[in-house]
Amino acid sequence: MLEDELLKWEFRRGSREALARIYEKYLDSMLTLAAGLLNDVGQAQDVVHDVFVSFAKSAPSFGVRGSLSGYLATSVVNRVRDRRRRTRRQADGSTKRIEPAREPAAPDDAVIFTEQAARISQVMAELPDEQREVVLLRLTAGMKFRDIARLQQVSINTVQGRYRYGLNHLRSMLNGEVDE
Amino acid sequence: MIPERTVEKALRGKLRFTAGSTLRERLLAEVMNAQQQAKGTEPALHESGRKLRIVRNPVVKLTSVAAVIAVAVLSVALWDRFSSRAYAIEQTVEALQSVRFLHVTERDDTGQITDERWIEIGEDGYQARYRQQNPAPRNFAVVEDGESTGVYYHDRRAVVLYDRSQRQYQWVSSLRAFIENLRWEGRILKRNDHYQGRPAHRVWWPAMSAECLIDPKTKLPVAIGKVQLSYETPAHETFEIAIPEGYSAVDRRPGAAAGPAPQWLVEQEAVEENIDAYFRQGAHALARGDYEQAVENFEYIVRNDEFSNWAWFWLGRAYYGLGRYDRAVERFTRILDALGDAYPCRYCNYARGLAYARLGRTEAAEADLRVCLPAMIHTLTIPSSGWLFEFADNPMIQQGRDMPTNAEIVTNMIHRLRLITGQDFGYDPNATTEKNEAAIAAWERWLGDDGQIRLPTDGWPAPPHSVGSKRDH
Repeated sequence: MLEDELLKWEFRRGSREALARIYEKYLDSMLTLAAGLLNDVGQAQDVVHDVFVSFAKSAPSFGVRGSLSGYLATSVVNRVRDRRRRTRRQADGSTKRIEPAREPAAPDDAVIFTEQAARISQVMAELPDEQREVVLLRLTAGMKFRDIARLQQVSINTVQGRYRYGLNHLRSMLNGEVDE
Repeated sequence: MIPERTVEKALRGKLRFTAGSTLRERLLAEVMNAQQQAKGTEPALHESGRKLRIVRNPVVKLTSVAAVIAVAVLSVALWDRFSSRAYAIEQTVEALQSVRFLHVTERDDTGQITDERWIEIGEDGYQARYRQQNPAPRNFAVVEDGESTGVYYHDRRAVVLYDRSQRQYQWVSSLRAFIENLRWEGRILKRNDHYQGRPAHRVWWPAMSAECLIDPKTKLPVAIGKVQLSYETPAHETFEIAIPEGYSAVDRRPGAAAGPAPQWLVEQEAVEENIDAYFRQGAHALARGDYEQAVENFEYIVRNDEFSNWAWFWLGRAYYGLGRYDRAVERFTRILDALGDAYPCRYCNYARGLAYARLGRTEAAEADLRVCLPAMIHTLTIPSSGWLFEFADNPMIQQGRDMPTNAEIVTNMIHRLRLITGQDFGYDPNATTEKNEAAIAAWERWLGDDGQIRLPTDGWPAPPHSVGSKRDH
């Protein structure tokens, strides 16, 4: 946390090193969050790219007092919501299935993940958006329920309810597929 | 069924997506590039409402135009479940992200439009097309059709065509950053109020240094300060570059048929090149206290670009530094008159107030300084509200240096407040947070109790940037 405060301070002053450190520190967790929310690695990659580029450009006016990871996670969620709305406009209603990355020619130029991660992500896609957000923000971004409640503009009780419903659903869907 | 904690453990440990090394490096390069290009960008609805910022570098163009907003359409129905009384700023942020067309107008006291802009936001969220027109006395127009930029020189009866990568115009330098500022630091001043006879929520938008009026139904801003905003679809020809009858077209786009550019245009473009260089030199001169050099640089700029408000402002600061307070007042007044009520320019009132005070015109000084107090005290709780004071005090910020932290913004504002009121209520940068919060609360009470300006009788600071913390340049 202290490191994040220092990074924020240095980033605001235009430090390239601070930005690189923030990027390295949070790239994968934001990628995981975006992939979990979207169930689509290509779109997740785009979202994370946009979030970090926008973040980099915000240095002159950057004034976030809360946690850096919370800020980035919120940015990811907002962009994911934007994409969902756009997708719904063109919606065909079908649920895409996430596949282990094979598309790019060079493996290093891809998002890497396991079959099990793909399966969990696919199951996550069955959850209503609000529940999926809560579960992922809590478990992959480590956000507090209070902050998630602020983001979703609902009460903390509602958020905790969504978390419980989401987990219960995952428990039934993943039964036997994950190690106890 | 598996236990809850097993699912939590699986999600924490096994749901993991990692960028490959090449992807990681490629993204990092783009992120670093974005940061580099963002440096040196001017803030300002306040200024660019009148003054254009020309961006020649195509990469700068792409980053700065990140401006306006992702395109995903917000279903208003989604938000209808919130009553107007339950309004939250996030709704406005979301609504802004669904905007495709932005119509910005500013009117004078008689109701005549003095500045009108249309902005189309593309599917990628970037500014796609743009139109701006200012009637006389400015008599200026520019149209961007997505590929080319047409600049209308009415006095020359000519339209100069540039490739969009060569020239681009914009309303604010980075609207996305402004929207993020609204998201994180905006504050609801009053719900369910009225504006021009219609219901509106009042929101303080720190980066704009202005009050924003929100339509309770659409959640979109209908006004920022006195600038009107609407979101209707413009006429089809709005973004077409038309050559009016009797006008000549000068094509400066790459690959255009070669032909000599008219002399006036060659000179004009040379002046624009010089202006960029003079701005840099003037900023450095002012920062190191070489006021005569700064006067020379900024005088050149305003002679050739009378709408460069930052040049006028820093020219005023340079005259102040030379002890030519009368000239400083003239320059600051010019900006305040030009911006009018539409763009409150409190840092300029502050600067002019100090200059008046040095001239012994106490009443005028107090009037100017008093009008700054709410914004200044607001900064103590929302530091970004004081950003423009910092930008004004230190021209090196425009050059991408000396970016102040929130703590520095607050500390510097306390210095300014102490200077013009003789009080600091015990605020000390080294004191505990609790103590300083108490000091800030005391300032707010002081303002609410009609606190009075109390100008120093001696001990004036050396202008212009020593009001805040000292920095090496």
